[in-house]
Amino acid sequence: MNESEPDPVRVVVLGGGTAGWMTAAGLTRMLQGRVAVELVESEDIGIIGVGEATLPHIRGFVESLGIPEADFMKATHATYKLGIDFRDFGRIGESYIHPFGSFGEELAGVGFHHYWLELQRRGLAGPLGDYSLCVAAALANRFTPPAADMSLGSTYGYAYQFDATLFGPFMRDFGLSIGVTRHEGLVTEVERDDESGDVTALVLKDGRRIEGDLFVDCSGFRSLLLGQELGEEWEDWTHWLPCDRAAAMPCTHATEDIRPYTTATAMPAGWRWQIPLQHRMGNGYVFSSAFVDEDAACEAIREAAEGEPLADPRVLRFRPGRRSKSWSHNVIAVGLASGFLEPLESTSIYLAQMAITYLIELFPEGGRIEPADRDEFNRLVDMEYDRVRDFLILHYHATERDDSEFWNHVRTMQVPDSLADKMELWRKAGRIEKYSDGLFYDASWIAVYVGQGYLPERHDPRTGIVDPERLRTAADGLRQEIESTVAGMPGHVEYLRRESARLAEAS
Amino acid sequence: MSEPRESMRRIVVAGGGQVGVLAAIGLRRALPNCEVVVIGLPPDRAAFADHSATALPFTNKLHDRLGIEETQLVLAAGGSHRLALRYFGWGGEGQHGTMPYGGTADPALQTRFAQQWGGGPRNIAGERPAGSLAEVLADAGRFAPPPPDTDTPLSQVEYALRWNPPAYRDLLIGLAQQMRVAHVQGRIAAIEPDGRGGVAAVAIEGQGRIEADLFVDCSGCGAVIASALSEFVAIDWDDTLPVRRVLLAPPGQAMLALEDRVSLLADGWLSEQAGRDGLQAVLAVGEGVSDEAAARALRSEPLAVIPVSPGCAREPWIGNVVALGDAAARFEPLGFLNLDLAHRQLALLLEMLPGREIVPLERAEYNRRAGLMFDTVRDTLALHYASPRARDVFPGIEPPDAVRVALDQYVRRGRLPFREEAPLLKQEQMELLAALGFAQGQAPQHRTMDPREMEAAQAEFGAKAKAALEFAPPYDRWMASVLQPKA
Repeated sequence: MNESEPDPVRVVVLGGGTAGWMTAAGLTRMLQGRVAVELVESEDIGIIGVGEATLPHIRGFVESLGIPEADFMKATHATYKLGIDFRDFGRIGESYIHPFGSFGEELAGVGFHHYWLELQRRGLAGPLGDYSLCVAAALANRFTPPAADMSLGSTYGYAYQFDATLFGPFMRDFGLSIGVTRHEGLVTEVERDDESGDVTALVLKDGRRIEGDLFVDCSGFRSLLLGQELGEEWEDWTHWLPCDRAAAMPCTHATEDIRPYTTATAMPAGWRWQIPLQHRMGNGYVFSSAFVDEDAACEAIREAAEGEPLADPRVLRFRPGRRSKSWSHNVIAVGLASGFLEPLESTSIYLAQMAITYLIELFPEGGRIEPADRDEFNRLVDMEYDRVRDFLILHYHATERDDSEFWNHVRTMQVPDSLADKMELWRKAGRIEKYSDGLFYDASWIAVYVGQGYLPERHDPRTGIVDPERLRTAADGLRQEIESTVAGMPGHVEYLRRESARLAEAS
Repeated sequence: MSEPRESMRRIVVAGGGQVGVLAAIGLRRALPNCEVVVIGLPPDRAAFADHSATALPFTNKLHDRLGIEETQLVLAAGGSHRLALRYFGWGGEGQHGTMPYGGTADPALQTRFAQQWGGGPRNIAGERPAGSLAEVLADAGRFAPPPPDTDTPLSQVEYALRWNPPAYRDLLIGLAQQMRVAHVQGRIAAIEPDGRGGVAAVAIEGQGRIEADLFVDCSGCGAVIASALSEFVAIDWDDTLPVRRVLLAPPGQAMLALEDRVSLLADGWLSEQAGRDGLQAVLAVGEGVSDEAAARALRSEPLAVIPVSPGCAREPWIGNVVALGDAAARFEPLGFLNLDLAHRQLALLLEMLPGREIVPLERAEYNRRAGLMFDTVRDTLALHYASPRARDVFPGIEPPDAVRVALDQYVRRGRLPFREEAPLLKQEQMELLAALGFAQGQAPQHRTMDPREMEAAQAEFGAKAKAALEFAPPYDRWMASVLQPKA
């Protein structure tokens, strides 16, 4: 306790996009007084900012920064999100919701989905989503925060859908308010230590030098420090995830209702998103340039969008993959500079947040980097990326679609062994490979497998022992309880209005 | 359209110890239409899981699921409760610490400890305040198992059970008989391969031949069925775990206590386990300790001296044979991990229960997860031998890489990397390391934690502890009231 406080570690964040400001704000807040964070950004460089839909983890991040949920939602025109509606992925005309929640409950140690498969076989079950409160609430356009007890009402989580172009600036204002120093300018030179190879300073166009102990590369795909300067290798995953472009186009809302979920609709050469915000609908076509050209993709999103366009389609280019190391020397990449996975499961902001959290946990006190901490950081980041990667590939590979070259390619491609084994285990025994670290657990895998019609050949032998009538009664009971719980929830729009009215009154 | 898998028709459980009988109960309960036959092979003396008089809190959940009532264990099998394990002398002479089950959950309280009691060897011998209700209760000798469905100040307290192994086994056998688990007695005379890497049938001396879909080998360290398979490979843990002999003392006086102890002595470690039918002392020594020195350390002539050669099966499930308990992993009885591991393996088997046709990938998944269990058990033991004084008592042992990483992270940063399928919760591991005399470093995100937040956490804990102490009766009084014959 009585050690004298060392000088704060000088952290230089390069890049003022979502990842950059999240990093700057996160480090400044969680490592109070022990870091001095400077952020370099340039108005000449646009930000990608497509991460409009999020995962429930974002709530913890916002909360740990000490930002009230209401302020944050108001500033970013946020709506609530209960999951993603996937349409036409397994087969054209079919859809399912991947919820932030579970399906049914296990019984005598056997997962609910086994019983569901058994009821399904006997023609006694509805769609799997009927047994998920989260799915039912989403489909009914209703929302209320989950209960804190152990009741049915506690079996889901939620995230936000927000305007990413407002989230970055919101984080910037917050970061500046808690002491982040901002430098406007273009980096023209990176200075390094001759001996160690560590980065020592960034030199800006006007000659200013920004020195630092630690550099966080949030420069996006350019990966100016980790990729360009340090030459950290890029592992390309295009062969598994061929989408490399997005044509984004905001629209007005076409209906009064605002869905408490994101929609992902499969397209001939990729898929398109619809993300309902308070004031508009985010739209975009994520496509593979190997299968459709940019003009055609822009045309396709124009045609598909339901509301009035608020702008022309804007094309974004990306590459799926990750750096073989996200932390090298004294440079840590966060966000796109470290890796990219397409937004199919809204993981972009999560992946940035995950890297920030681990960086804080493994932060080099006094600026001295222990190789063991760097290795640990890289191990954790790789594990997270790889697990998400397999889950995304599943969405493309578990399909019957043969109506376009793109779908033929992804349906027949060779997937990573790690995924092939998972799929085979599911196919043969209806079981999910278990892990507790990283993202996407049993319920998520089951939602996608079942939703895309990739059903097991066999399920648990114990389901054959239970009397099917009793099973049906139990399942029907659950379905009715879900129906009546949903009926008691306010509509999503109503809840949003009520909340904002309540807050306006309180202030 | 998915079909239910054809259910197994007969399962043979080899081994009539407490692991085998419980496995039979679990399997029979899962598949009431499947015949379950126990071959009553007596487990060898080195089968520590089979002879263990206690496990960890996980076992309570398994018992619950399998219909084994805690009250029955208390009334009919000498059951008693353990809330914490105390470590003496691992960090240095005179140093001691406590690992309560459930750990210290509040990060603010953890941080306070790390700030005041971590930070260097100078602090490790100091008396650290209790950070968990389990520890507070153990210190005060007050406890009563909380009723399952009501919220009481004791509801969050985790505990392990102890029992009298023969009585516990009798109780299990009674239940197995009720459930019509079959039983044959006799040596296995022959093992008939099925031509697919597994076993078609076993011949029992004087009893004939038994075919089965699945063979669960709970026969102890010898793994009589599993080790007969050509693909069975044992992994040696000799390089990591130094204990070569375990000496059992004759049972001491009956002792009711909410804690057990493991002390590091000059020649090995001494585990003292309380219990209603006598304190059980166990001494474990490495190579080069004479029998006389060992007996002196044990303070009595040993009842038995058991050689230990630690290791595990590379794949506990081969063909249609699953090795469980000591047949799958054998190691010294430090920290009561032996039976806990057997029970977690059993739970995994029940979770992944196959049909008549076993799918290779489900076997692979079982082996992957069981392998993680083995590795983390080995590494939890290795943490003990990496402690400051254990390095002198058991020289020449190199901790595995994962242990080195974990210790480095704990000491420098106050964090532990997450490990899948580990026997202890992360918080329990934190407490274990503190109890073993490692000084916890401070997590960067907690260094600047507002002192008021820590005060508040301390105050909140204080209030909870007070409520728990007021609610809990003295443990001996509670026990007496339960055992009193009802009028």
